[in-house]
Amino acid sequence: MPMKYKRTKLAGNVGFSTIIDEKFKTGSLLIRFITKLDSSTASVNALAMSVLTCSSSKYTTLAKLNEKLSELYGASLSSFARKRGDVQILGVTASWINDRYAFDGENVTGEMLDIIKDCVFAPNVVNGEFDADSYRITQNELLDRIDAELNNKRGYALSRASEIAFKGEPAENSCYGTKEAVEKLTSKDAYEAYLKLLETAQIEIHYVASEENNTIAELLSDYFSKIKRAPQDIVFRTPSPVRSEVVTESDQFDVRQCKMVMNFKTDSDDRYAVKLFSTIFGETPVSKLFMNVREKMSLCYYCACRSMAPKAALTVDIGVERENIEKAKAEILRQLDEMKNGNISDEELESALLTLDNAITQVGDTPESYSSWYFERFCCGDEMLPEQLFTEYKNVTKERIIQAANTVKLDSIYLMLDKEAE
Amino acid sequence: MEKNIIKSQNTGDSCIHVKHKSGLDIYICEMPGFSSVEALFGTKYGSINTMFKMRDDKEYTVVPEGIAHFLEHKLFENEDCDVFELYAKTGASGNAFTSFDKTCYLFSCSKNYQESLKILLDFVQKPYFTQETVDKEQGIIGQEIKMTNDNPDWRVFFNMLRCMYHTHPVKIDIAGTVESIAQIDADLLYKCYYTFYNLNNMVLSIAGNIKADEVLAICDEYLKPCEDKGLETVFPDEPDEIVMPEFFETQPVGTPIFQIGYKCRNCSGEERLRKSMAASIASSMLTDASSDMYKKLLDEGIINSSFGSEIFDGDGYFTVIFGGESKEPAKIRDAITAEINRMLKEGLNEKDFQRIKKSTYGMLVRELNNVEAVANLLINSHMDGVGPYDSLSVLSELTSNDVINFMRDELIPERLVMSVVEGEAD
Repeated sequence: MPMKYKRTKLAGNVGFSTIIDEKFKTGSLLIRFITKLDSSTASVNALAMSVLTCSSSKYTTLAKLNEKLSELYGASLSSFARKRGDVQILGVTASWINDRYAFDGENVTGEMLDIIKDCVFAPNVVNGEFDADSYRITQNELLDRIDAELNNKRGYALSRASEIAFKGEPAENSCYGTKEAVEKLTSKDAYEAYLKLLETAQIEIHYVASEENNTIAELLSDYFSKIKRAPQDIVFRTPSPVRSEVVTESDQFDVRQCKMVMNFKTDSDDRYAVKLFSTIFGETPVSKLFMNVREKMSLCYYCACRSMAPKAALTVDIGVERENIEKAKAEILRQLDEMKNGNISDEELESALLTLDNAITQVGDTPESYSSWYFERFCCGDEMLPEQLFTEYKNVTKERIIQAANTVKLDSIYLMLDKEAE
Repeated sequence: MEKNIIKSQNTGDSCIHVKHKSGLDIYICEMPGFSSVEALFGTKYGSINTMFKMRDDKEYTVVPEGIAHFLEHKLFENEDCDVFELYAKTGASGNAFTSFDKTCYLFSCSKNYQESLKILLDFVQKPYFTQETVDKEQGIIGQEIKMTNDNPDWRVFFNMLRCMYHTHPVKIDIAGTVESIAQIDADLLYKCYYTFYNLNNMVLSIAGNIKADEVLAICDEYLKPCEDKGLETVFPDEPDEIVMPEFFETQPVGTPIFQIGYKCRNCSGEERLRKSMAASIASSMLTDASSDMYKKLLDEGIINSSFGSEIFDGDGYFTVIFGGESKEPAKIRDAITAEINRMLKEGLNEKDFQRIKKSTYGMLVRELNNVEAVANLLINSHMDGVGPYDSLSVLSELTSNDVINFMRDELIPERLVMSVVEGEAD
C-alpha cells in the first residue's frame, strides 16, 4: 500500500501531518517548535526543551520516566535543538515499536502518546517553575554539551567558521547559546521560556506510523485550543551579505592535523543551480575537490563542500598539514575558477543528477527521512513531491550552473592550527 | 544452488542464504515497500589479521600494521579508473571500511542497483596495484591517521585496549602508523589480497528493493570460482591478565572522556553470541538510568547522559566497556565494581531483568526497520558464525541466572582497566 500523507491545521494554527506507511515496524511522533534564533533566548529555549523529556507530572524523575520507557520495549524519547539559518528549531521526538511486536499485546502506542502528551502539556512543574532536580540535571547536561563541542575537531572548526561567516546575524549563534548564558539561567526562566514558546513559536507535528490513529489529532487540538496562541512570523531564508574583504581568523590547539574552513556566499536566487554547483564542486567522491585536492594532490583525507541554502552560503572544509594550507587553498579556489569558466563536463553533470536522484528517491525509507522531507517543504513554503524536486534539478542547464558559480565569492576563512610548528 | 530461507520465529522476518558454487556465502533480504538498496561485499580480513598462512605454506607471513586498511583504499582503483567514477554512472553512493576483523565494500542506492552490484562484484575481484599508486596513497592515509589521532574518542578506546592486551593485534590502530604503512609495497598488497580475498573467505549481503533471482543471476555471471586454499590466521598467545590498570592522555578536549573496560575470556560462534547477549543485559542493567547507582552518580554530577556501555568482541578478544564524559572517572569505576558486588550478593531483580530484556528486544526489532541495518546484520552475523536472527532467539531464552553467571565469571576486578583523555587544565 502506498504511503499516505495528510497535513491539517489544529487549534492555534498548529500544523499536524500524518505520514502512514505500513512497512514500518515503529511509530514516531515529532513536535517541532520553530522560533527566531536570538542570543538572548537561544540557551533558555534549548534548556526548556530539554527539561521536558527529563521527567513529567506523572513520571516525576528521570529514573521513573526511563523505567517506563524501557518497559515499553526501549521506546526512545528525547529533546533536540538545532539551527537552520537564522531560525532555532527545538523539539521533542519519540519512537516506539508497533503494538503487534509486543509480547502480551500491550498498547505501546497509546502509552507512548500519553507520555509525550504529559511531557509537553503537563510537564513536571512546581510553583511556577520546572522541578528543581530535573532542571539541574538538564542544565549540567547542556553545559557539558557546549564544552564537549571541542572534542569533535571538525565539528568545532565548522562551528567557529559559522560564527565568523555570520557575524552580526542571528546565525552566528549556536543553537545552544553560550555557557555563560546557561549558567545564569534559573528553572523559572526556563519554564517561562517554554510557556512563551507554546504561545509564540510556530509548531509543526509529524506522526509517522504504519496505521492511522484517529484520536491523536483531536487530543492535540484540544490541548492547543486552551493556549493563547499567537505564532510569530518566521523568515526561513535570510541570505548573508558577502564581505568586501576576506576575513581570516585562527585558533591554536595541541592537534596533529590542522583544519581549514572556507566560507563562501552567493547572491543567486537559483537554488537548484546552486545545489548542482555544490554537488559537482565538492559533495561527492567524484567531485572536483575530491578528485583534485585529495586524489591527485594527496593533500588530505577529506575536502568537501556543503551548501547552506537558508543563508545562501557554502562551506568547504579540509583537514590538512600546516605546510600545505596555502597549496590546498589555492587549489580549492582554482577548482572554483574552473567552474566559473564553464569547465563542467557532461559526465560531471550527469553524475551529480544521478546522485541527487538516488538521494531523493530514498526519502521515505526511514520515518526520520519522511519527517525531514515534509519539514523542509514547510520551511521552503512549497508542497513539492520528491520527483518534482528532481525534475527541477534535471531542468538545470550547464549555463545556469556556470551563472551560479560566478555568484560564489569567498567571504571568510577559519584555521585551526597546530602548536608544534610555532 | 539451494536457496535456504532463514526465518525469525520472533518477528516473522526472513531472508535467503545461498552457498554459491564460487565459494561465496550470499545473503539476500527482499524488503517490500522500501526504495533503497544496501549491498556489502566483505572479507574476513581486518586489522587484527597480521599473521597468516595457507595450507601449503610452511611458514606464517607477518605483515605491517594497517595493511588491510591500506588494501581497502587501493582496491578502489582499477587499472583505468577510480571505482567512484564507475559508481558515478549509476548514482550509487559507494564506500568501504576496514574494522578489526573485516573489510567491506558497499554501496547504497535507490536506482540501477543491478548495474551497481555488477561494479561491486567486478572491482573487488580485480586488484590493480603499482608502486606509484601505493606511494600516492601514503599521503592520504597519513592524513586519515592524523585525523583519528586528534579524535579523543578514538584515542580513549585504543588506550583502553592497550591497557588490556599484551600481544593480541586488536590493540593496534586499524590504519596502522605513518611508519608502518611506509613499509607497504605493491607485492605485499597482492600477497594479502590473494590470501584473504578468496570467495571462500567472503560474504555478500544485499537488502532492500531487490529481487533475489536478479541478484543471483548477476552473481552467477560475475563471481569467479575460487579454490579453498585453507587459510589459517593465528594470534600470539594472550594471557588473561591485563597490561596496566589505567592510562591518562592529555588532548585539547572540552570535557574529559573515559572508558572503563573488563577484559573477558574470548570464545566464538554461538557461545560468543550467548555470552555477548548476557554481557549486554548485564551492562545495560549497570548503566540503567532508573537504577540507584545511575541516580546517585547523576545527582553528584559525576556522569551525564553520555554514560553508556557496549560489548566489543571478535576473534580472540571480548570486552565489556563503560564510557562517557566525566571529570571523576575513578568514582565511576568504584561505583561499577561496588554495584557488581551488590548484584552478585543480592541477585538480580527479576522485574528489572525482564524490563531490560524487553528494551533489548525492542532495539533488535527496530534494527529490522532499516535497509542499511538489515544488510549489516546479515554480513556481521555470518562473519560471527551465527544466523541473522539468532540474537532474538538467544535473547528470548536468556535467564537472569545466565547474566549473574556471566558477571561472576567475567567481570573480575583484577581485569578492569580505565582509560582517560583529559584537557590540560583538568
